[in-house]
Amino acid sequence: MELYKRYVDVIIYQKRNGDITPLYVCWENGRKYKIDKVLSSERRASQVGGCGMRYACMIQGRRRNLFLEKNKWFIESYQP
Amino acid sequence: MARDRVIFHIDINHCYAQIEEMKFPALREVPMAVGGHEEKRHGIILAKNDPAKKFNIKTGESLREARAKCPDLLIIPPSYDDYIYYTSLVKDIYRRYSDHVESFGLDEAWVDYTDSIALFGDPLKTAVRIQKEVHDEIGLDVSLGMSWNKIFAKLGSDMKKKDGPAVITRQNYRDTVWPLPAEDLLYVGPATKRKLRARGITTIGELAVYPRQYLKKAMGIPGEMISIFANGGDSSPVAESSYRSPVKSVGNSMTMVHDVDNLEDLRPVYYVLCEAVASRMRDHGMEGDVISVSLRSSGLDWYGCERRISQKTDVSGVIFETAVQLVEQLYDFEKPLRAVGVSVSGLRPLSFHRQLNLFEDEEAYEKARAADLVMDEIREKYGYYSVRRACTAIDSELTAFNVKEEHTVHPVGYFQGRRMMP
Repeated sequence: MELYKRYVDVIIYQKRNGDITPLYVCWENGRKYKIDKVLSSERRASQVGGCGMRYACMIQGRRRNLFLEKNKWFIESYQP
Repeated sequence: MARDRVIFHIDINHCYAQIEEMKFPALREVPMAVGGHEEKRHGIILAKNDPAKKFNIKTGESLREARAKCPDLLIIPPSYDDYIYYTSLVKDIYRRYSDHVESFGLDEAWVDYTDSIALFGDPLKTAVRIQKEVHDEIGLDVSLGMSWNKIFAKLGSDMKKKDGPAVITRQNYRDTVWPLPAEDLLYVGPATKRKLRARGITTIGELAVYPRQYLKKAMGIPGEMISIFANGGDSSPVAESSYRSPVKSVGNSMTMVHDVDNLEDLRPVYYVLCEAVASRMRDHGMEGDVISVSLRSSGLDWYGCERRISQKTDVSGVIFETAVQLVEQLYDFEKPLRAVGVSVSGLRPLSFHRQLNLFEDEEAYEKARAADLVMDEIREKYGYYSVRRACTAIDSELTAFNVKEEHTVHPVGYFQGRRMMP
């Protein structure tokens, strides 16, 4: 299935040492998706273009890659 | 004999185009090139991707020539902020393996791995690891050459673009480097190439075995230098990451939005350029006394000259007056001018003692300097366009540019102000 690059709003928790944990992904229709677990975070290039810190997240039982690219967040989405 | 050094030269292949492809992977499928802004008239190809290469598009040719070869060529304006950002991320990866990382432009760097062998082991494995890490983390492909000197390492990175590091050793350099054309060597440009051809030298091997004293006699120190380079005798060090080369000159140039055919119209342009140069000199805490101008006509001919003034200065008005006088002497405006530049050299750290001059108005000089400082401060606080000279309002289209802050990526010299060490 084809993947798309979608910039999204993200609610994060940032510790005083700078560490970031994304908590929710907010879709354009106003729906909020809870990130159940962050499996890994590392610097990676994305197959949909761009690169940055990649947070491999479990959302509603599915794995999705969320990227912090410079100062913006995008998700490798199955929806265009 | 001391242990040989291990030096990598790492090059981001067709850097600007590859960064655009990384940002937008669909660009990999179509012929694409990064080219200067056509409306601002810096219309040349800066980098091209592989599909564009098939149409024989060349870096440096005009956008018009490129379109003639490939009408469907997609031309993307450069985003220098991105190039600076992503290339700095790539160099951060190199710095994981050595504190001696010397940039050569945005896309190239030398890494001295000699003292890191004890920490990270086999150089070849590390070289492959660096390529993989850059690919996985930034999504860019780099080519890598490895040798005991910087010159051969650079040749190596040009040899095998796609498949793994090229290793040039004392055992194999006669077979790998010497058959290459002489102009592949750093510092052999078109003029040197012609001089070498005249002596029957076409390859690096022929250059290496040609008697050095003849080359030195015919071409001076550069002749001796390229002979040393060809024999692998370059011993210049890889600078430490924190090394900053001393500033030798400060200059700015620009292509104007439209051609200018008289001195009066050119004055405001020069004022903006001189302000930028003076302001950058103050940032460096330098003053200088050699003012040079460069001009390019609409026929793309170059003109240039320089003059030493009586005292070192960092005042835009003084630089401006000298620059305009030089232009007046140098150019008759038979053809309109397309691009102009000014630079100041003969620099030294700013001194607070100034020789008073009986024949110049010292009070006016101090006032002009104070005005410059105030403008710097206002611009720092409220932005560049918050304060401007009245003369720049005459043709605001022509002078609406901020040379100091809009990125220009300058070519760099190999020796970076160090002496050559054969």
